[in-house]
Amino acid sequence: MWFKSAARTAPVLGDFEQLVLLGVLRLGADASGAAIRREIHERSNRDVSINAVYTTLDRLEGKRLLRSSVGDPTPERGGRRRKFYALTPGGSAALKQAYRSFTAMAEGFESALSTR
Amino acid sequence: MTPRPPRLAGWLLTHLLADEWADFVIGDLEEEFARRARLSPASARAWFWRAALGCLAAPPPVSRHTEQLHSSPPAGDPAVRTLFADFSYSLRVLLRAPSFSLAVIAVLALGIGANTAIFSIVNTVLLRPLPYTDSARLVRIFHTPPAATFPGLRTFPVSPANFYDWKRETTRFENMAIYRFEPFTMSADGRANAVLGGAVGDGFFDIVGMPPAMGRTFRAEEDAPGLERVAVLSDGFWRTRFGADRDVVGRTITLSDEGYTIVGVMPQGFSLKTWGIGGVDLWVPLAYTDQARAVRDNHNAQVVARLKRGVDVAAANAELSAVSSHLEAEYPQANAGWGAVVIPLQQVLAGDARTPLLILLAAVGLVLLIACANVGNLLFARALGRRKELAIRAALGAGRARVFQQLLVETLVLACAGGAAGVLLARVTLRAGASILVTNHVPRADEIAIDGSVLLFALALSLLTGVLAGTAPAFRAGRADLNDALKEGGRSDAGVVGIRTRRMLIACEVTLSVMLLMGAALMIRTLSALRSVDAGYDAANVLTMTTRLPATRYKTPAQISAYYKASLDKLRALPGVESAGIIDDLPTQGGSVQPIVLEGHAELLPRDQPTVEVRKITPGYLKTMRIPLVRGRDVGDNDTDVMLVSRSAAKLLWGDRDPIGTRVTLPLESKTRPSTIVGIVGDVKQGELSAGVEPSVYQYTQEHDWRGMTFAIRTAVPPLSIAASAVASVRSIDVEQPIEQVRTMQAVVDETLTSQRFSALLLGIFASVALVLASLGIFSVLSYIVRGRSREIGIRTALGAGTADVLRLVIVEGMTPALAGIAAGAVGVFASAKLLQKVVYGVSGSDPLTLGAVAITLALVALTASLVPAYRASRVNPLTVLRAE
Repeated sequence: MWFKSAARTAPVLGDFEQLVLLGVLRLGADASGAAIRREIHERSNRDVSINAVYTTLDRLEGKRLLRSSVGDPTPERGGRRRKFYALTPGGSAALKQAYRSFTAMAEGFESALSTR
Repeated sequence: MTPRPPRLAGWLLTHLLADEWADFVIGDLEEEFARRARLSPASARAWFWRAALGCLAAPPPVSRHTEQLHSSPPAGDPAVRTLFADFSYSLRVLLRAPSFSLAVIAVLALGIGANTAIFSIVNTVLLRPLPYTDSARLVRIFHTPPAATFPGLRTFPVSPANFYDWKRETTRFENMAIYRFEPFTMSADGRANAVLGGAVGDGFFDIVGMPPAMGRTFRAEEDAPGLERVAVLSDGFWRTRFGADRDVVGRTITLSDEGYTIVGVMPQGFSLKTWGIGGVDLWVPLAYTDQARAVRDNHNAQVVARLKRGVDVAAANAELSAVSSHLEAEYPQANAGWGAVVIPLQQVLAGDARTPLLILLAAVGLVLLIACANVGNLLFARALGRRKELAIRAALGAGRARVFQQLLVETLVLACAGGAAGVLLARVTLRAGASILVTNHVPRADEIAIDGSVLLFALALSLLTGVLAGTAPAFRAGRADLNDALKEGGRSDAGVVGIRTRRMLIACEVTLSVMLLMGAALMIRTLSALRSVDAGYDAANVLTMTTRLPATRYKTPAQISAYYKASLDKLRALPGVESAGIIDDLPTQGGSVQPIVLEGHAELLPRDQPTVEVRKITPGYLKTMRIPLVRGRDVGDNDTDVMLVSRSAAKLLWGDRDPIGTRVTLPLESKTRPSTIVGIVGDVKQGELSAGVEPSVYQYTQEHDWRGMTFAIRTAVPPLSIAASAVASVRSIDVEQPIEQVRTMQAVVDETLTSQRFSALLLGIFASVALVLASLGIFSVLSYIVRGRSREIGIRTALGAGTADVLRLVIVEGMTPALAGIAAGAVGVFASAKLLQKVVYGVSGSDPLTLGAVAITLALVALTASLVPAYRASRVNPLTVLRAE
């Protein structure tokens, strides 16, 4: 075809963007800024600052890879609302492509790349 | 209680984050905080601050679409919002130039920190009320001795009979109490230790106004002789000797071989060390006999009193003077020339510390001014570097006032950060220096802390500093010509603007540095003058130690003499000991001053009767201290009732006649037993080294009551190396007899110089800081000028100017303001000489030699600071510069 397929035009993701999107994917309906930060910290042991997470979330939303909704205030948050994020189809596609490139490049070297 | 996130951080977030984000960000932070606080509230708070500052420094971006959706005007007072906007913009701008911000904050932290530290001391010593009830009404009462016979003395201890008359005849005092110090030997578990007690008269504890922590204080009827002996312990003594035992009340202790029942313990706050009587180990009732109460001619007691509500010190003084002059008329034999004075307790405590502290405060203020000038310089350089940014703002419609405000807010943010760092610095310094303050006898040193008023001071100082340093640069920047700035394109360093103001700043820095350096140099010269002063004796290689014989075990002069004789024999037999002797009060330690009457003369009224310093000595003292014998002979073991007189005493009492062989009496001790003068000795400074020599007599008699005496031991080896064996050999004579204060005579003398050493140390530190700041200032301005004028220098070089010409050009540029500053500093030195004169010794407050040295030092520092920029200028390659055109 003369136009490229949606999957192929999915934007290339930065390293941190991938982590954030994976965090959203893992957390599903609970994907708020603090939860994403914690998930990244616990899984990858990267101590990221909360403002970096927000900046990235905002950028990804701007690229229409994420969409957000606002939840109800809860007492443990001092009565403040929570902003939840979810992957858009574009976001899923971008993540898939990133994963594909990664596994394709790593193919055959799984045991060498594994730390255990 | 669940821990709350830091309120200030939350407040900052609420006000500084875009509304779009505030709710979510703060909510997330609080949620995470709550999680972390379950593990460790402290680290959760630290984390919250870190995260909050991170969010403020690099806030999540404001999306365009939402901004457009909410285009209604923001809520709140527009001026306040502008201020907040400026504030958050400042934070971002300053974080973007971290090295500049850090430099400014460091300089300000140094200045504000030093000021905060000194102010904490001043605040405690001079300003903060004493920790007693209604302490403004607490006063001390002293005698004022006759000026002719006690030259230079303005206050004097009180005689008991006069005190009881004052108490009876005055009406403006709520109450008065008499007290004196009483050394005890406390024996417990076979060991004996010296204990300092306060013997206090009726009403003492009520007047001071602090209830006991345990038990009770003394009852009025207990201030009488022959009753059961009772004691009140100080908090420190209770803790160290009784392990803070809560059942101590009711127990009996042995003081100087008498049993005392403990009836109470005072709280910690009562133990004000500076106030001698507050710093003692325990208190006992004074219990004067009627005979002791009637003593009018011996001045050996202290008085504390509380004014009635609404009575001021002047009124109390007026009344006391009237009563006192009436007593003078009634008892001329004892009172002629003796007056009385009321002085607020706080003022007495601050005492001699007042002038040095105020000088230090002034000095540290100068350091802050230098820091301001330095920061002003840095801001100037930066504002000029940002001219383009400011011009664009102006072009977009920002008024001059708006730009001015923005820059000023930036400076204030820096100043507050510097102030916060400064308070931390002060806190650390005060902690680290706490022991120095105590050993230097700074009054109330143990109370010094950073309290609310110190914090307020630091805040005010920070704001003032910000305004002071920021106004001129911000004003100049706001005035910049838009056209010029934009035309110059990206070259932010071209041209030299505002140079006159910056030269002024350098001159100011140098001026202030001259004054500080002068202060430090004078204090150092004072110290060395005092060290090398001829005090009339040789303090090197002398070991001293003190003992006090209790009246219960040493009843007769023969017993006492035997003890001292045996001690001296043992000491003299020690290897390394050259000689040993005994005196009641060593030089610099004060001592008895008494009227003296020549045989054949009638005793005059106190205001006319000459007085001398009276010291009791044994044979060997003169030799040990190397006090020269001018004429006659030293006292010997077989003498009874002999006396040596100092040269000035001989001149005062006998004029040109020969005193040797004549006899004198000391009427306060005995009117009937005269002493024979056997020799004239050299003069000795009995008091402070900065004071003159006092006429002195040294008495040796077999009819004595030598309770508290000090051994002086001249050694052929380092004195402290034989200290242990000296103590052991004296203790072997009486194991129950404590030997205290074992130290060298040099240490005794050095202790009197602590105030000068303290001032010299601090002024030295301040002056070094000033020098560094001033040279940095000169360096940065010259570097800036050289950069700005590189084109001109290039052209000059191209036209044939040699390296020497270029060097001269830059050095003259740097030295001109420096020399102007030195000249202005000299004027400042002369203006402040009068104040300095009060604390210096052996050198004038405007000593030309010192001033010359200071001026040369500063000129050299300025020259050194000019050299690097000058060298850079001489390396300017004309081709490069001109090609850049």
